[in-house]
Amino acid sequence: MVTWFTDRHVFLLAVAVYGVSVIYSVFLWRKGFRQDNRVNYFLLLLAAALHTTAMVRRGFRLDHCPVTNLYEATIFIGWTIVAVYLAVGLWPRLRFLGAFASPVLFGIGVFALMPGLDETHSARPELTGMWTSLHAALMSLAYGAFGLSSAAALMYLTQERNLKFHRLKAIFSLLPPIQRLEVIVGRLLLAGFILLTLGLAAGAIDLTRLNNPQAYRGDPKIIWSALVWLIYLGLVLMRWKFAQGGRRFALGAIGTFVFVLLTFWGVNLLSPLHNP
Amino acid sequence: MGFHEPHSIGQSGSDLGTLFAMPIVVLGLSHHSSPVAIRERFAFGEARVPAALQLLRDSGVAEEAVILSTCNRVEIYAVSSAEPRAAFDSLRDFLVRCHDYRDPLTDEIYGLSEPQSIHHLFKVAAGLDSMVLGETEILGQLKKAYELALQHGHTGSRLNKVFQRAFNAAKQIRTETRIQRGSVSVGSVAVELAEKIFSALSEREVMIIGAGDTSEKTARALLSRGARSILVSNRSHEKAVTLANDLGGRAVLFEDWGKEFSKVDIVISSTSAPHYILDRVKLEPLMKSRRNRPLLLIDIAVPRDIEPEVNFMENVYLYNIDDLQAIADDYLKQRKEEIQRCEQIIREKAEALLGSHRERSDPGQVRPAFGHK
Repeated sequence: MVTWFTDRHVFLLAVAVYGVSVIYSVFLWRKGFRQDNRVNYFLLLLAAALHTTAMVRRGFRLDHCPVTNLYEATIFIGWTIVAVYLAVGLWPRLRFLGAFASPVLFGIGVFALMPGLDETHSARPELTGMWTSLHAALMSLAYGAFGLSSAAALMYLTQERNLKFHRLKAIFSLLPPIQRLEVIVGRLLLAGFILLTLGLAAGAIDLTRLNNPQAYRGDPKIIWSALVWLIYLGLVLMRWKFAQGGRRFALGAIGTFVFVLLTFWGVNLLSPLHNP
Repeated sequence: MGFHEPHSIGQSGSDLGTLFAMPIVVLGLSHHSSPVAIRERFAFGEARVPAALQLLRDSGVAEEAVILSTCNRVEIYAVSSAEPRAAFDSLRDFLVRCHDYRDPLTDEIYGLSEPQSIHHLFKVAAGLDSMVLGETEILGQLKKAYELALQHGHTGSRLNKVFQRAFNAAKQIRTETRIQRGSVSVGSVAVELAEKIFSALSEREVMIIGAGDTSEKTARALLSRGARSILVSNRSHEKAVTLANDLGGRAVLFEDWGKEFSKVDIVISSTSAPHYILDRVKLEPLMKSRRNRPLLLIDIAVPRDIEPEVNFMENVYLYNIDDLQAIADDYLKQRKEEIQRCEQIIREKAEALLGSHRERSDPGQVRPAFGHK
């Protein structure tokens, strides 16, 4: 086995392909999405294959689900975004999501590769096992869904602006109708919210295995997670109870995910529970 | 009679030669050469065409023939053993006798021989000779005319080959150029906009406020693309009822159009009101009753019926007549930019057709076509 070519090198290749996809996406954007972007789909498929290989290799090396440090959690989130995109991208009308997902994926990949994130630390012995893995996996899937929701929201805002300002590319582009985009944003956000709820529930169950779980009530990551859950709850209510979809909802989806991206890792480092 | 070539592609016929010893000629009238009042006098109903073709062939004027009769042209494509000039005279006489036309004609009728007749056929098939540049309906009409002639045994190897090549050329032009892309009428632009906003037109309800020609055409375009139903509201309720019956919809009293708003997704407004009939203040509660679903407003009226400010409301998209016309003009401009490319494809196809025959036939037997030395 070639030991110098580690799973990180494989992931680096995946990030490079995400980068190529970003460049191609800029080209598609400038053309006003007038061409079907099968090329971009296959670029992301290639990147996803490399990404999956990196994670599988890491998993085999660790002998468990690879979400034990920030690097692993980050690439897991990225993996869920690309996996969901590849599934929805089988429908030609939704394939353009890739042009918006690739910058997010590239950004996450570059961040994950920064030094200091991939440090081996011994986890609490009480917090290993099924519930921990389930909690980490569900949370990563949730953030992946939120990431795709915000990518779809970006598409919505692009098309909405073109229509409001009567630009010809609103008609020329092959972007889906905005009503469909609004539905996609909503459904992905709702799926993410359900996964987030389940992930937090799994985490709460996992906490009960500790000697003194009440001591962690003030843990920064727990407080932050509750705040994120409340914000997404607010968005869900805004959309379904108060029928406030459209631009405000799209901006809410994007803004909340940007907040998550900017604060997730910092809060993780501050949390004695997640970073002992 | 004038032998004018309405849209010569500019290629000298002498270097192309003829396709066959008996050249293909075309004779007819179109919107380019004559007004509708004269064209309609020469139109052939579909039921009359087979008999007319039979008569044409029995008279010895043509060995093979296809008659194309649409609202914008009447043309006879024929293979004739006569010299082109004589063929044109015979075909013209046939056309005039067929319709018992006794009024004087000047240059309403044109005649083309090879290779211009072949170029013309290819141009017609691709929609380049149509009133709306790049329209696609003509190809279907041409195919129907050819099928009718074929079924009744009025075509032979010559016309069969040329018509098939014309259909191929039209298909190539459609896939390789943008000549047929987009909509060049206000009504069809409105439909495209609706399709960019709503997931499925079949679930959408349309309301017309005020009854005008353009709003009716726009509503028909939406209906033809699957819009669910039409509500019509007009100050004159009788007019609203007439138009609603015509469109298969329902009339609503003018004072009550606001009450129907919760069900409506697309509004076409063309009243003669001197002030706005819909502004932001009125629309906000109406949007709440619709649970803020997307709303497309098409304001065709001059002066405008809808306050421009409403365009900035959440989920409201307002287009006035100038906006729609600007989109239609942009599309037309794009189509015009494609003409040269289309003509290049037609030239290549015609050359390939003529060239392949020239390789097979003995050059010494080829008779020069009309107008060639």
